[in-house]
Amino acid sequence: MATLNDELADFARAIVLRTALSPQINLSYPNYSAEVAIEVYRNNYRGNLHDTLAGAYPVVEQLVGNDFFRLLTHKYIEQQLSANANLHHYGAEMASFIATFEPARELIYLSDVAALEWACHCAYFAEDADSIDLARLAQIPPEQYENLHLYLHPACQLIPSKYPIADIWHAHQPGADSEFHIDLHKGSCNALVSRKENVVCVSELPVAAAEWLLSIQAGIALGAATDAVLESHPDFDLQSLLIKLLHLGMLVDGDRGE
Amino acid sequence: MNNRHLLSAAISSLLALGLTTSTASAADKKMDMEKCFGVAKAGKNDCSSSKSAHSCAGQGTKNNDPADFVAVPKGTCEKLANGTLESK
Repeated sequence: MATLNDELADFARAIVLRTALSPQINLSYPNYSAEVAIEVYRNNYRGNLHDTLAGAYPVVEQLVGNDFFRLLTHKYIEQQLSANANLHHYGAEMASFIATFEPARELIYLSDVAALEWACHCAYFAEDADSIDLARLAQIPPEQYENLHLYLHPACQLIPSKYPIADIWHAHQPGADSEFHIDLHKGSCNALVSRKENVVCVSELPVAAAEWLLSIQAGIALGAATDAVLESHPDFDLQSLLIKLLHLGMLVDGDRGE
Repeated sequence: MNNRHLLSAAISSLLALGLTTSTASAADKKMDMEKCFGVAKAGKNDCSSSKSAHSCAGQGTKNNDPADFVAVPKGTCEKLANGTLESK
């Protein structure tokens, strides 16, 4: 006799993989066939995942149009099962999926745009963090600055690309001018995702600043991180970068602050 | 260390900013809005939103499969067309 668990697994396979329902499951419905009922259920299942992806990837959807996006999500949903009860976690693999999605092969920037959108999505749901305590920072003697560890907000993410993905992202935000002119070959872009007062922001960092940020995120002390960047970029402007990060709300209090 | 002065100057500027934060916060906010417009995820945490991850409305019909022949993107990517002729 089938247990409830077996029946649910059987049902899930019928929804996701289109296998036939086990004959042990009661198929006698008065108004419509089990096949129709399963199709309706499957459509809801996929429709909800589609809407989830549309919520996370609005720029990708605008770039490719609704029909193409529906095809894209349809194929994605076939390959990627929802692995978490929280639907906000669904869609993490979209950038790598797009990179292998043949119909989008010519849209060379699309995968990076998807990576940026996922970073924005994660930034929106990232933990809160307290801003850096400047009064405490003021207590630290300047000779100890080089050993100082700075901490970045959990929402802070850097997405590098060969294409102007930050410009593309901004051109597709609500209220943006629908007439845009973006030179795809204007050079690489280090898109910085941040969040302040529940609003996700995308800005750009120069190469030197991006290198420094990654070092700091990796837990390297202020002095060593700055030295390393100055070696390859003597004109690195730490002061502007720190002020920018403070304005963006990305400098936060660390537990292990010195 | 040769960056010592640079570090001092940079941290000092942060601290100086901190001193004026209370009076300058309105200006800062405005500046931020100018720097990074774009309200992502507005209404996302809202069940009634059509783009919500928690669709309450359902997908009434039994099938809205996309047609496989719709394999040509028809969105704003056309405006970035100079990039579509390249392969990866």
